[in-house]
Amino acid sequence: MRDAYQEQLDSLADSLAGMCTQVADAMEKATRALLESDLQLAEEVISDDLKVDEIRTAAEEKAFALLALQAPVATDLRIVVSAIHGAGDIERMGDLALHVAQAARRRHPSPVLPDEVAPYFAEMGRVGVALAVKAGAVIRSRDLMTAAELESDDDAMDDLHRHMFTVLMDRNWTHGVEAAVDVTLLARFYERYADHAVAVARRIVYVVTGQMPGPLTV
Amino acid sequence: MPPIPLAQQLGELSELLGQMCTAAAGAVQQATAALLDGRVRLAEQVIAGDARIDALRAQIEELAGDALLFHAPVAGDLRAVVSAIRSAGDVERMGDLALHVAEVIHRRHPGHALPAEVRADFAEMGRLAVQLARKAAEVVRSRNVLLAVELDADDDAMDALHRRMFGVLMHPAWPHGVTAAVDVTLLARYYERFADHAVMVARETIYAVTGQEPDAIPI
Repeated sequence: MRDAYQEQLDSLADSLAGMCTQVADAMEKATRALLESDLQLAEEVISDDLKVDEIRTAAEEKAFALLALQAPVATDLRIVVSAIHGAGDIERMGDLALHVAQAARRRHPSPVLPDEVAPYFAEMGRVGVALAVKAGAVIRSRDLMTAAELESDDDAMDDLHRHMFTVLMDRNWTHGVEAAVDVTLLARFYERYADHAVAVARRIVYVVTGQMPGPLTV
Repeated sequence: MPPIPLAQQLGELSELLGQMCTAAAGAVQQATAALLDGRVRLAEQVIAGDARIDALRAQIEELAGDALLFHAPVAGDLRAVVSAIRSAGDVERMGDLALHVAEVIHRRHPGHALPAEVRADFAEMGRLAVQLARKAAEVVRSRNVLLAVELDADDDAMDALHRRMFGVLMHPAWPHGVTAAVDVTLLARYYERFADHAVMVARETIYAVTGQEPDAIPI
């Protein structure tokens, strides 16, 4: 009986880690679609988001079944509650990747980004994808060192986000208001994506230690 | 000491969530007043006041954890506890978004006032946001599914305003330059997300009460 229970807990963690892989893949493709004005790739990200939502529903059903049938306590209870939070965060990461893809589609065939900011978005995409992959690894390993790494990795995203505003506010910005609005929102999508990855890692720290590191949300 | 009965814990969870929603309504109301009139002190109050919303969330999570631990609820009671946990996350985010509005005012002070073209729209977005948060408070307290469904429809007005705002910004005649456009873009997004989270709270309540996702409700 205990084994079946442990299996259910593992399967819940697997679902969540799988969601992380999905949203990492979505953001990688969305960023490429954005940088290369690739409409087909953007469409792929948009239609694939349904899969993330489906895994979330399945993960939540697993969590409910565990709570109702096994009445877990202590660490196991924290695992299940954290999984419910984590599923919400990771689904939102998928939505944010979707928003990036939608921006690429909306402006197609024109590029969304002025050339001078494209490299920053390539970097934000890289940092974001790495954070999602690492969050998935933390869900599987519950390794506190790796969880802590996400916090400092996120600083790189915050720096990039702040830098985007400096570029936008510069009086030499020549690309007009429409491009500025796009860049503002896109930079925010990447920053929020990273914040949710950090929130996932924080919940794992809570599972292991029983203490939330810092504020509940970032 | 015997554990507090589950029914009482569920009642306390609803009450605390209601308080959180009311606090978020107050925060966005003050933030909007600060935005419209450039009142930096009021913005600072919103920023300082967010800690109270965060504390309520922590209290809800603790209480919900106790309810799961001591009563191992099932069916509707389990949904009520889990939806309280999730809703608390949404309302905390509503508080954060009101705080972000306040931070824009703080950051720009003194200087850039809100461009006249978008003033009325932000007043309306603020009014809608307050109304949605108050309705969410009523929904979590009363667990009234009809009211929750109504809230979902109210959000359409916010989406329409949000879209309209982009039309104004993107218009070739926009005379306020890029900095003001960036601020307006972010501010509009904060209000729109605030409303989205209020809708999420209502949807959580529908799910808790009926066991169905809102889309399946034939209303």
